[in-house]
Amino acid sequence: MAHTLSAEMVASVHSIEVSAGQRVDPGAVIVVLESMKMEIPVLAETGGTVLDIFVAAGDVVREGDALASIG
Amino acid sequence: MTATATPPEQEAQIDPRSPKLRLAQFFDGGNFELITPDDDRGVLVGVGKVAGAPCVAFATDPTVQGGAMGNDGCRAIVTAYDRAFADSVPVVGIWHSGGARLREGVLSLDAVGRVFAAMTRASGKVPQISVVLGPAAGGAAYGPALTDLVILGPKGRIFVTGPEVVKSVTGEAVDMDILGGPEPHGRRSGVVHITTDTDEAAYAEARTLVCLLGQQGSLQLDSIADTDLGQFMPDSSRRAYDVHPLIDGFVDEGTFTELHAKWAPNIVVGLGRLGGRTVGIIANNPLRLGGCLDSASAEKASRFVRMCDAFAVPLIVLVDVPGYLPGLGQEWEGVVRRGAKLLHAFAECVVPRVTVVTRKAYGGAYVAMNSASLGATKVFAWPDAEVAVMGAVAAIRILHRKRLAEVPPESREQVELELAAEHEVISGGIKRAVEMGVVDEVVEPIATKRAVAQILWDTPGVRGQHGNIPL
Repeated sequence: MAHTLSAEMVASVHSIEVSAGQRVDPGAVIVVLESMKMEIPVLAETGGTVLDIFVAAGDVVREGDALASIG
Repeated sequence: MTATATPPEQEAQIDPRSPKLRLAQFFDGGNFELITPDDDRGVLVGVGKVAGAPCVAFATDPTVQGGAMGNDGCRAIVTAYDRAFADSVPVVGIWHSGGARLREGVLSLDAVGRVFAAMTRASGKVPQISVVLGPAAGGAAYGPALTDLVILGPKGRIFVTGPEVVKSVTGEAVDMDILGGPEPHGRRSGVVHITTDTDEAAYAEARTLVCLLGQQGSLQLDSIADTDLGQFMPDSSRRAYDVHPLIDGFVDEGTFTELHAKWAPNIVVGLGRLGGRTVGIIANNPLRLGGCLDSASAEKASRFVRMCDAFAVPLIVLVDVPGYLPGLGQEWEGVVRRGAKLLHAFAECVVPRVTVVTRKAYGGAYVAMNSASLGATKVFAWPDAEVAVMGAVAAIRILHRKRLAEVPPESREQVELELAAEHEVISGGIKRAVEMGVVDEVVEPIATKRAVAQILWDTPGVRGQHGNIPL
């Protein structure tokens, strides 16, 4: 089942660490956000294939915004 | 009990919800002594052992009126509490109950209230642990909620009003799972401390917690090996990381039991052992929300601090906090009121409590994380740690706002970095923090465990004289 990773807090997107179609293990870094002067990795909760990435480096995301989906 | 003694057809007749069976599954070797009558009152109370030490446990009986609590059943629970109180031993409740007995009318409400009163009298005096294995509704929801620690089995469901009432009043179509199952209580409400995938695991967690609180052990300084805790930190000081490996490396191997793991995960709290002795660990987790304090995490930590204080469990506070989480949502959620609980909890706390600043401690969050000003027994900091009102760049942006506005945008970053470096020299970094007395001592990551253990060894064990209100 696909799951969507979302931002926990307001942040800017520092970098995207994977590309669509890539297989990832649980715990893999998908996106790195920047907030409170820190680079915060967002990790895959389960393994699977990266279906879609909804953001690009430099975007500003709000709490709850979808970042990527994995299925 | 041996498998051969019971023919298969008879074995099948034992209801898996039987309170006797459940008490047997909880106590050492399935052995316990019933101290209340074995009848249809809906609650059984047993005295037995957990890892060799005495413990009282009661179980509601879902095979009688759905486990509903009547006058006699409630009196049995009060008996359990009286016994635990008299013997100074932990009391464990195994819950599966629809709430007050309708047939007994208001008498059952009165009886349920007496259970709550008994729990509150015992609060902070003997450890109270609840294991919820089935629905626990109404009065049976507030029973566990008043105890120190709540474990939810896979079929445990805790709610005040059930799906039918919710549907008739609000029109919301919900099931018991979404009202009060592991997901909502593990992640959203903070009602439950631990969720498990099986009933067996729920008993095992309860037994572990009974041991951690009831048999705290004595500190063996010799048994603590130097561990380079620096290995658990990322190379870049800006990079967030998961704090769990650092905690696991700090406590005796495999002893950490995390509480409220999925609720407010930006702070980690739990019990473990250091040199054989039970300790409470509180750590910011930079991986979640950057490790910021917010209203939920402050509340989670404050309840944990007060529980440890009440049961004489020393605290180790691992600090890496960028500040309080900013935002309208936080302010409206009461980050001021709920954050104040953490200040109050630490300032009131009398057990030995040692702080280790691993990377940074900024602003109001620095104060809240067991600072020297709140009475920390000792504050250690690692050599590269930063203790400040805010990060250097943020500080110079305020201090030099006018000057920076005049700098052309293309060279602004360079000027900011220069000013920040200058600011760090003036504000003095960790050395200056030691001079001011806000940090007692700089300690190398590899020497940290022993240094902390030595403080716990040197500090007399006392406990706070207060209850443990479920904050």
